[in-house]
Amino acid sequence: MSTPILATKLYIPPSRLDIVRRPRLIERLNEGRKLTLISAPAGFGKTTLLSSWVNQKDESREAGMKDEVKKFQPSVFSLQPSQVAWLSLDKGDNDHARFLAYLVAALQTIAPTIGAGVLASLQAPQPPPVEAILTTLLNEIAASHDPFLLILDDYHVIEAQPVDQALTFLLAHLPPQMHLVIATREDPHLPLARLRARSQLTELRAADLRFTPAEAAEFLNRVMSLNLSTEEIAALDARTEGWIAGLQLAALSMQGQPDAAGFIQSFTGSHHFVLDYLVEEVLHRQPESVQMFLLRTSILDRLCGPLCDAVLGKDEGGRMKDEKETNFGSSALSLQPSSFILEYLERANLFIVPLDNERRWYRYHHLFADLLRQRLRQNDAASHPGGDIEGGIVAEYHIRASQWYEDNGLELEAFHHAVAAHDIERTERLIEGKGMPLHFRGAMAPVLRWLESLPAAVLDARPSLWVTYASALMMSGHPSDVESKLQAAEAALRAQQAQRNAQDDDKTRDLIGQIAAIRALAAAAQNDVKTSITLSHRALEYLHPDNLAVRTVTTLTLGVAYEFQGDRAAARQAYNDVISIGQASGNFMLTIAAASSLGQIQEAENQLYLAAKTYQRILQMVGDPAQWTASVAHFGLARIFYEWNDLEAAERHGQLHIQLAPQIECDTSVSCEVLLARLKLAQGDVGGAGAMLAQAEQSARQHNFANRITEVITAQVLMLLHQGDVASAAHLAEKHSLPLSRARVYLAQGNPAAALAVLEPWRRQVEAKSWQDECLKAMVLQAVALHAHGQENKAAQLVGDALALAEPGGFIRLFVDEGSPMAELLTRLKDKGGRMNEYIHKLLTAFGQQEKMQPSSFRLQPLIEPLSQRELEILQLIAQGLSNSEISERLFLALDTVKGHNRRIFGKLQVQRRTEAVAKARSLNILPRSN
Amino acid sequence: MVYQIRLKGHLGSQWADWFEGLTIRLEDNGITLLTGPVIDQAALYGLLKKVRDLGLPLLSVQHVETGPVKAKETHQNH
Repeated sequence: MSTPILATKLYIPPSRLDIVRRPRLIERLNEGRKLTLISAPAGFGKTTLLSSWVNQKDESREAGMKDEVKKFQPSVFSLQPSQVAWLSLDKGDNDHARFLAYLVAALQTIAPTIGAGVLASLQAPQPPPVEAILTTLLNEIAASHDPFLLILDDYHVIEAQPVDQALTFLLAHLPPQMHLVIATREDPHLPLARLRARSQLTELRAADLRFTPAEAAEFLNRVMSLNLSTEEIAALDARTEGWIAGLQLAALSMQGQPDAAGFIQSFTGSHHFVLDYLVEEVLHRQPESVQMFLLRTSILDRLCGPLCDAVLGKDEGGRMKDEKETNFGSSALSLQPSSFILEYLERANLFIVPLDNERRWYRYHHLFADLLRQRLRQNDAASHPGGDIEGGIVAEYHIRASQWYEDNGLELEAFHHAVAAHDIERTERLIEGKGMPLHFRGAMAPVLRWLESLPAAVLDARPSLWVTYASALMMSGHPSDVESKLQAAEAALRAQQAQRNAQDDDKTRDLIGQIAAIRALAAAAQNDVKTSITLSHRALEYLHPDNLAVRTVTTLTLGVAYEFQGDRAAARQAYNDVISIGQASGNFMLTIAAASSLGQIQEAENQLYLAAKTYQRILQMVGDPAQWTASVAHFGLARIFYEWNDLEAAERHGQLHIQLAPQIECDTSVSCEVLLARLKLAQGDVGGAGAMLAQAEQSARQHNFANRITEVITAQVLMLLHQGDVASAAHLAEKHSLPLSRARVYLAQGNPAAALAVLEPWRRQVEAKSWQDECLKAMVLQAVALHAHGQENKAAQLVGDALALAEPGGFIRLFVDEGSPMAELLTRLKDKGGRMNEYIHKLLTAFGQQEKMQPSSFRLQPLIEPLSQRELEILQLIAQGLSNSEISERLFLALDTVKGHNRRIFGKLQVQRRTEAVAKARSLNILPRSN
Repeated sequence: MVYQIRLKGHLGSQWADWFEGLTIRLEDNGITLLTGPVIDQAALYGLLKKVRDLGLPLLSVQHVETGPVKAKETHQNH
């Protein structure tokens, strides 16, 4: 579950057909620079200008306006309605996770698939850094070539530095096809001077936006039909200084007014604050019921009929539910449902703006809303002289709004109105939610702001608030402040217990469990595994069985700690528990995290079919398109399909993982590149394998993924051996002390005894640790070494054991990658066992396929039989350039005997000539290079 | 700290609580003078933000010495 996106925030406000044309401003907007900034006080027509600009193309369909509109066609880039993304900002967007979520949602209105992975990552308990998210987003934008606008309206509500920083980053890396437009009452904290200097900024300010006298005349006489004289217009324009809101209010005051001239004289002769004077005039000309409607609904950021009815205490038919609300007035409008009144207000041009095409949601013009709220507060204060603000009628309106939002599943909005009502109990209940706290769903910032605003006495009276405080801090990445909140919670609990003697009530025990759960998480973050396990168990003991949200997190923490400790059985149990609890409570993210870890444990225990099933289940949960949450599953499937010799499927999943992993700065992308390199080696593409490995090594070093270097080195050793460069492979294996790699090098050098000397202790080591996957690898390689050493019976026995362990998981490449010596071993075993016979046949078939993929020039095997001491002596003399006769004299051997040795040496080295023998021996490190 | 804020246009007295205890004085030249204590810079910026949001033309912000306020308080105590 995530906080739902309000579609009304993404809605492009409609352009009114009867507005004043402003070609000089449209021309500026069409400049198409990187950033367009519209910065002016309230009421200067910023939003109206933008909406008329982006809706221009639609207007061109009006037959009578064609000629006029053609004059103002965009001159820089072609603007289409579908290429405009609009986001109306509000205070809630100071939470950068929410800001980014809405940013993506706005972009998705023009490119539905963009940023899908970003939305998923924002729901994670610990989202990736903002720059990583924006980089992914910008790369996706750069991949499409259509120019488009992103409009951010009301940017002045943004005070949070992380959001300004995100936008600065966005601007610094903006693709050329993207243009940013910001409307604001206050200059944003962006590098405006730099943008100005580079001519990357178009600015429209109050001086630009004021109506000129000609525009004022057009507005007053054509749009508002007032038939004013030139002198009257000049007087109004001077009084309002071209301020559009002022002129609009003045016009509304004069409509239907028999004495317009008298009004103008009175207004222009006054020093009253323009807005104050005019709003008073406009309000007083409305029926009392409309005045009350306007005042009471001004507490809402967004209005729709049913919500307004709820706030006013009306039923669906427009009747008052409570007889006490008799002061609503007796006019005809008072008996209408709120949706009717909203339509009336829109027709009357009373500062109401539709937020969707269905005319269901509206908002007040912000300036008007601020004034209405101010008057509502004054009325409330007047009717409750000396009364507590928290007990006023305004609070009651907020509670009604909160209840309506809660009933309609909009929990974050319900939360905000509960905060505004100062209703602590309601607010806390909304944070707790129905099984999934708000701050577990990415709403940490507003929850923390509320908690920070509360005095300590209020928090002490409700220890659960301290616990929520600690939990939200942990979620938002401020672990250092967590412990003090937990201690405050414990102190408050002790104080309560001292008063009530309530030792064992359910709520108290659950809170103790939550405290332990948060501490377990903190210990895990410090890699204090034992403490984390102890605290997790304590938490699970105390947490209420119904507290699934916290139980899920705690059980996952426990699983990770056990895995860290090497207890795979306990970890597996914990992960399975998380999956079943998580699915029951709808905790999507934790279920996937646990399933990913479970799959890896199953792989480590050679249970490949189980692991594949687990990973496939993750893909089903995530759905299409692929998201970063599924990247671990894709990598797991890549490993398994490789092992099953389905190289095509392995590559597909591996590539998906590499695409998705950068969204979370994940080090497994290096491991995946290593896997893809091995896959290319298996396909006979040595060049491709080399390139992939180079990339993997670069990634590992750049990002300081030290733990992945050994994987890269292991694959590099394999590749060097594949190329016949035994000396370089030996150097690498020795330097990094990699047992299996060292064993492979010894085999390539024709020294199986040394290989066995490395492998036997290593195998005992991994057996002792119950590392089944490493144990299986060691057994297979040991069998090859025994075979090379001539111990055929032992080799056959060990391969048989390995086959018995590997068959349930369907392992193929484990054997095929060892090459022809393994094929020989399997051939000898072929007709011995019933069920195993079928498996061996399958493996030998894979060997056959493998032969076709390998270029013959790269088919290199370690010596089947090592050179004898005498053969080594003769080879060294050959390397020194001695002839057969000279060798015969030097070693006191018959010439025929020397020739016989030569034939055996050539056979073992698989060469035809003396020079070839020397070169091969040197490449196998049998002869020192200096000779 | 005491500040004087000059705004263009006359505000009604009902705005006093909106501006959190500042006194409102209307001058003959059409200017409103807001005078009163502001506890810190953050509070001052908050006030200016209210001015911004109402579209009030801001003419000047002036810091006034604290002496007169103390004297005034002493006088009231008597």
